[in-house]
Amino acid sequence: MIAYADFKIESLAYFSKKMPNHVRWVLQQIKSRIERLNALFRPVMHYNCSAHHEGTNMTEEASNISSDTAAYPWSKNEMFLFRAALAFAMRDYTNGEEFGVSDIHPCDETERVSFWFVVTRPNTTDLVDKGTVEMAIKKSRNRINGAFLLTDQTLEFDGIYPTLAAPVSPATPPWLIVFGVVMGAVSVGIIALLVYPLVQRKLKKNKDADDEDSDEETGVKTAEIGANDGIYNSMFSDDERFTQM
Amino acid sequence: MEKDGRPNWDSPMQFVLACVSYAVGLGNVWRFPYLCQLHGGGGFLIPYLIMLLLEGLPLFYMELAIGQKMRLGSIGAWTSISPYLGGLGLASVVTSLYLCLYYNVINAWSFWYLFHSFQSVLPWGVCPINSNRTGPTEECEVATPTQYFFYRETLNISSSIEEHGGIHTGQALCLVLAWAITYLFIVRGVKSTGKVVYFTATFPYLVLFIYLIRGVTLYGAINGLKYMFTPKMAELANPRAWINAATQIFFSLGLGFGSLIAFASYNQYNNNFQNQAIVVSLINSGTSIFASIVTFAIYGFKATLNYEDCLDRMRILLLNTFDLAEDAISMDSVLEWIEKLNTTYPEQFAQIADKVREGECNLEKELDTAVEGTGLAFIVYSEAIKNMPLPQLWSVLYFFMLLLLGIGSMLGNVTAIITPLRDLKIMSRMSNELFSGLVCVFCLLLGLGFTTTSGNYWFTIFNDYAATFSLLFIVLIEVIAVSYIYGIKRFEKDIEDMLGHRPNWYWKIMWAVTSPLLLIGLFIFYIISYIQGGTPTYQAWNKELGESVVTEYPVFGQVFIVLLLVSSVSCVPLTALYAFCRKRKERAYEKRPSPVSTVSV
Repeated sequence: MIAYADFKIESLAYFSKKMPNHVRWVLQQIKSRIERLNALFRPVMHYNCSAHHEGTNMTEEASNISSDTAAYPWSKNEMFLFRAALAFAMRDYTNGEEFGVSDIHPCDETERVSFWFVVTRPNTTDLVDKGTVEMAIKKSRNRINGAFLLTDQTLEFDGIYPTLAAPVSPATPPWLIVFGVVMGAVSVGIIALLVYPLVQRKLKKNKDADDEDSDEETGVKTAEIGANDGIYNSMFSDDERFTQM
Repeated sequence: MEKDGRPNWDSPMQFVLACVSYAVGLGNVWRFPYLCQLHGGGGFLIPYLIMLLLEGLPLFYMELAIGQKMRLGSIGAWTSISPYLGGLGLASVVTSLYLCLYYNVINAWSFWYLFHSFQSVLPWGVCPINSNRTGPTEECEVATPTQYFFYRETLNISSSIEEHGGIHTGQALCLVLAWAITYLFIVRGVKSTGKVVYFTATFPYLVLFIYLIRGVTLYGAINGLKYMFTPKMAELANPRAWINAATQIFFSLGLGFGSLIAFASYNQYNNNFQNQAIVVSLINSGTSIFASIVTFAIYGFKATLNYEDCLDRMRILLLNTFDLAEDAISMDSVLEWIEKLNTTYPEQFAQIADKVREGECNLEKELDTAVEGTGLAFIVYSEAIKNMPLPQLWSVLYFFMLLLLGIGSMLGNVTAIITPLRDLKIMSRMSNELFSGLVCVFCLLLGLGFTTTSGNYWFTIFNDYAATFSLLFIVLIEVIAVSYIYGIKRFEKDIEDMLGHRPNWYWKIMWAVTSPLLLIGLFIFYIISYIQGGTPTYQAWNKELGESVVTEYPVFGQVFIVLLLVSSVSCVPLTALYAFCRKRKERAYEKRPSPVSTVSV
């Protein structure tokens, strides 16, 4: 890919005044004059990304910053931070290739904090392919987010889906613990309610046995205590209540 | 203890609280607000209160009177009124049995949600991540996280009633716990029930009050309240509103199950149940209205939140498509911007026109989504709760309240089964505790069927058919029996015996004329709607679409529905026939000459 620079409208107008018939020719010769023109006109050096959009070799990345409340305060300094963070990501992924801020080229900036960018190899103008850039961003995603104090939801790289954090699964599900507590309490309650009257009855029986021993000879013998101790005389008992016919 | 050895409530207050705890149940929270919304907001109160006077109060009074006079459960009480009517009591017991089987499953769900509230992030607030860790699970993406949690994690629902599956162990455990707690509260009969109802009857009001304050201070609650209180009087002309009001009063008071007869049978003979009947009915209706205020405040909050989410989605869509600056569109100006962009960039707008139309944000539409039943309690409310500040606290409070309402009603239902069967004397050899335990275990084992993957569909069958039609039939026969077979005059005298004064003309006219006519009308209406409704259908959860689809019941489902209805209704004629045959045999036996043989001594 040949890299070439476009001029902003003002610089174009300046050139056209001087050399009206050679405007296109000048623009196509720009490759060798980049340094001088930088100093003269401070053009915005950006790649013509729209030519690449329709093509199949997509080497650009689109990145968006969206925020749901206030607009993110974007400025040239923030762009510089972005390029520095990307350069760091590239260095980290490629283990030391000295990417610099000047190797990250944003283009197609819009009113919205949303732009495309391309990455070139250090000290050359060869573009780095999309796959490598994606892998680098994936690896250092957290650092890039952290640089802007944003999250995966508010800083979006088109086409790179965030790897979500693995869900934390504790050894015992917490609901089981609460269930165990309540079930235990209920079981204790049931057992208590069932056992309590039996225990009471036993205590009462012991108490009655003690009372019985203490007042043996006094009082009329009622059926409970001793009246059935006599002799059963069958002469006086009713064999049948109804006379048979 | 009274002379006949029957246990008693410790005080009349316990009886009143027991009736309140039984009558104020889940229906007050999840059915009445739905009906209110369906039939024009505040205007629905008019048919509701009229029906309360015409059928609710008189029938409630009648059941309490029967129970307190006969001092027996429903089978014994109706057999005392007339031997041919014992089947009424039996039908009540069968219907109560069906109710017990499925009602405790709701308590199991409440327990499940309650236990899951003790987590830092409520599990129904976020979707679980899929295995690739690239996003949420597909089912959760097409549905909402709250729906996913209910249908997948709580129920593990299959896609139709025909597909069977295994038991959900978590649900089964919660069901065991629900039955254990029910047993704990009824094991000592009215002695234990009487103490528990102090708590189960009063605590839900505390929670409702807290929720009222929380609800009306929520952002957007005022929209819901305005929607509820603007009465749409035109709805009153709709006969459905009146029918629904009558049905709601009827089922809300829990008539016909035999629970009221059972509770009243433990009263002192001279207990003044007239005032108590009025008090309990008014409390029940008041609670419905109170709960619907809370529900509408929450609806308003949820609808406003959804509406604003929708606006935000539109905003992001516009920003992305037209690459405008971040703060160009604010929440309020989204709709204006849609208009502006439509006119200035028509071609570009046409690309996203479909999306805009689909996701059209309309507050009225959000408020209009009326939900009832388990969907309201477990999905809509959970969604609202997860957006409140400190959601764990609100979640615990809410599900604890649902639990108390449900268990309070369960106490009445189980008492309605145990009391008449104990009075029958066939089980008198067994101890009370053992018998209650056996009933609970039996219902638990059958209820485990509702925890399978298709269990929720069987639950819906029971919910829709087990208790609706049979109850109407039972109460209709009840009121006709008391008014015409037993006779109003005798009934009056019995009440005078108990209370010391006769019931006035209002009660007598209601029993003899109005309530029977109303019930016959409701009965005929139900029959017509069953016949006209065609094949009964149910809502099956489709996991690809992430929503419920209307499906017809298969043949075995329809047969089961018919069996449910027939099994309880047929008790009445079958028992009458049985009593008739026995009487004929006895009479034939008496008429036979007895052999007299003299024995010469």
